[in-house]
Amino acid sequence: MVLPVVLVVAVLVLFPLGQGVLFTFTDVDEGTIANPVLGRPATYEWVGLRNYAGILSGDPGYGAFWGTLGRTMVWTFGCVLCHYALGLGLALLLNRQVRGRAVYRALLILPWAVPAFVSAFAWRHLLNARYGIVNQVLRALGLPDPVWLGQSDWALVAVMVVNVWLGTPFMMVALLGGLQSIPTTLYEAAEVDGASPWQRFRHVTLPGLRAVSGTVVLLGVIWTFNMFAVVYLITGANPNTRLLVTYAFERFFSAASRDYAVASTYGVLILSVLLVFAAAYRRALREEAA
Amino acid sequence: MRRSIGLLMVLLALGGCGGPADDPGEIVYWDTSGPHESPVFARIAQECATAGGYRVKVETVAFDAASNNFKTAAQGGRGPDVLRAEVAWVAQLAELGYLVELGGTDTADFLDTPVGSTRYGGRTYGVPQVTDSLALFYNRKLLADAGVTPPRTWDELKAVAGKLGGTKAFFLNNDAYYALPFIYGAGGDLVDAPRKKIVVNSPENVRALESAKGLLDGRAATTALDPGNSYAGMQAAFSAGEVAMVVNGPWSVADYLRGPAFADAANLGIAPVPGEREGRGSAPVGGHDYVVRQGGKSVDTARRFVTCMSSLDNQVRVSRELGLLPTRKSAYEHPDVKSNPVVAAFRPVVDAAHPRPWIPEGGQLFDPLKTAYADFLAGRKGAKAALDEVAGAYRDQVVPSYSIG
Repeated sequence: MVLPVVLVVAVLVLFPLGQGVLFTFTDVDEGTIANPVLGRPATYEWVGLRNYAGILSGDPGYGAFWGTLGRTMVWTFGCVLCHYALGLGLALLLNRQVRGRAVYRALLILPWAVPAFVSAFAWRHLLNARYGIVNQVLRALGLPDPVWLGQSDWALVAVMVVNVWLGTPFMMVALLGGLQSIPTTLYEAAEVDGASPWQRFRHVTLPGLRAVSGTVVLLGVIWTFNMFAVVYLITGANPNTRLLVTYAFERFFSAASRDYAVASTYGVLILSVLLVFAAAYRRALREEAA
Repeated sequence: MRRSIGLLMVLLALGGCGGPADDPGEIVYWDTSGPHESPVFARIAQECATAGGYRVKVETVAFDAASNNFKTAAQGGRGPDVLRAEVAWVAQLAELGYLVELGGTDTADFLDTPVGSTRYGGRTYGVPQVTDSLALFYNRKLLADAGVTPPRTWDELKAVAGKLGGTKAFFLNNDAYYALPFIYGAGGDLVDAPRKKIVVNSPENVRALESAKGLLDGRAATTALDPGNSYAGMQAAFSAGEVAMVVNGPWSVADYLRGPAFADAANLGIAPVPGEREGRGSAPVGGHDYVVRQGGKSVDTARRFVTCMSSLDNQVRVSRELGLLPTRKSAYEHPDVKSNPVVAAFRPVVDAAHPRPWIPEGGQLFDPLKTAYADFLAGRKGAKAALDEVAGAYRDQVVPSYSIG
């Protein structure tokens, strides 16, 4: 009975994954990969751990791994923290009886409903240093107008702002669902006991949200860690916004040599980092609950 | 194992782009020209198909993405039958086995430099479509009002900038290709292909980059330091008459003539790019070739299509309607081409243009330089340090068999 499941998992998950892992031990690129269409045999060679050694040594020729990992961490945790804080704030606001709640909810969900690439291009125009509306407003107010998407850390700030804008609606909706599942009787009981609004939030709302929060934060971290479209479409191959996943793309598709081997190695390293994080995170959650 | 890689690549290609129908009566042509040029090419393509008794599907593909998309598709045996390839792409696509050899093509009537770009390993893989180079475009009225003539050196540009409103004098595009006039004009180069050397961090190139930055520091030029917006910013600023001069190629004319500053086309002046010294300005040779994909269903039809597209009549027509430069010698004898002001202005520029190395890696030299040039212009790195990094990237990722220096 399990055979179909085993087959599907093998074909859809394990086989491509195994292929990618195999590539990390070779020097395969577009010139050496087999091409049955053109009748060209594979000519790539086994190089052992050379790709891993090159990347983990932090060599700039292999994308300066440690610096890129650090930037990816800043990006991931910065974005998820803002997503969660803003999402929770908006969810709390919407969880009360306010007039036109449906309208607000629809409007706040809008950034999430727009395809990411459309948002990315729209923001690229908004943040244009000369003609963008953001800098025009800043200039009109007499404030400094930095080159948002240029060769400085402002570029990372800019893409983080865009990603927060894009990701907050999801958190808001998920947490709103969580809030609405907390029985109102708990709040009534707390009020009878004389709990202040802060105490009610601290001792009723947050524990009630724990299950939802744990899941959406883990999902958020994984998505943000691997967020490609926003970063690459807004700033392209800018070293100041280079994340592990955009660098893997640069090596695979654009840039110089379509280096499938190095790109696959980055893929394996990204997977490893996320597996370690997910395991540690789940353990921490379990200990907290216990 | 091999079969499985093939399957993977086919899946990749399916995800990447649509392939042609398996219909030998129809060919697919990927046009990479801009939105103001492609309607003309599409019209000519349809006429070629009608006259030749086949059908053609013209798909416009963004220039930036075309080489990449073509490679992904061709690896899986899909993609267009005919591609408009930038001159630097041809050698690489040929080396990877994606192109049909166009042996027996009569190239006697074509200019030598564009033909050079179609050759790889002693064989011919393309037919030149257009040739081009970079020149100094200027707003005649703004220069005349300020009482200046088009500058012939970068120092001269700096000197007259004050009269043109300082930073409004010139828009510097911070893209790698637009650094080449500075580099070639100072006697530098990116690589020395015959001697297999990487020369991008030479003292000439350091000087070249510094003269570019000198324009910004001396408040004689403006730039958009966000690379993604730089080209569009330059086009907008010049078309609107906000800046007096830019460096660009003939493909940009159609864009400019739609702008308010050039409602009167005669206001658009074209001069050779300035150099370090007078008369020493030097711009890169550019242009595009038609290439035919290996493994297509209708290679013969594709070849007929290429022959028709690059015929004398159609080159003259492209030149007349878009001001692009023909690659056939005989086209320049045609009165319509001779009298076209853009062609007349660019002809000497193209003749004096600096050839680029026709090596497979030629198209890959720009990405590292682009980042370094933008970093340098933004003041994040010194010229020498930035160029040393480019040299390192060339050695590690682009031309591993070359040595630095």
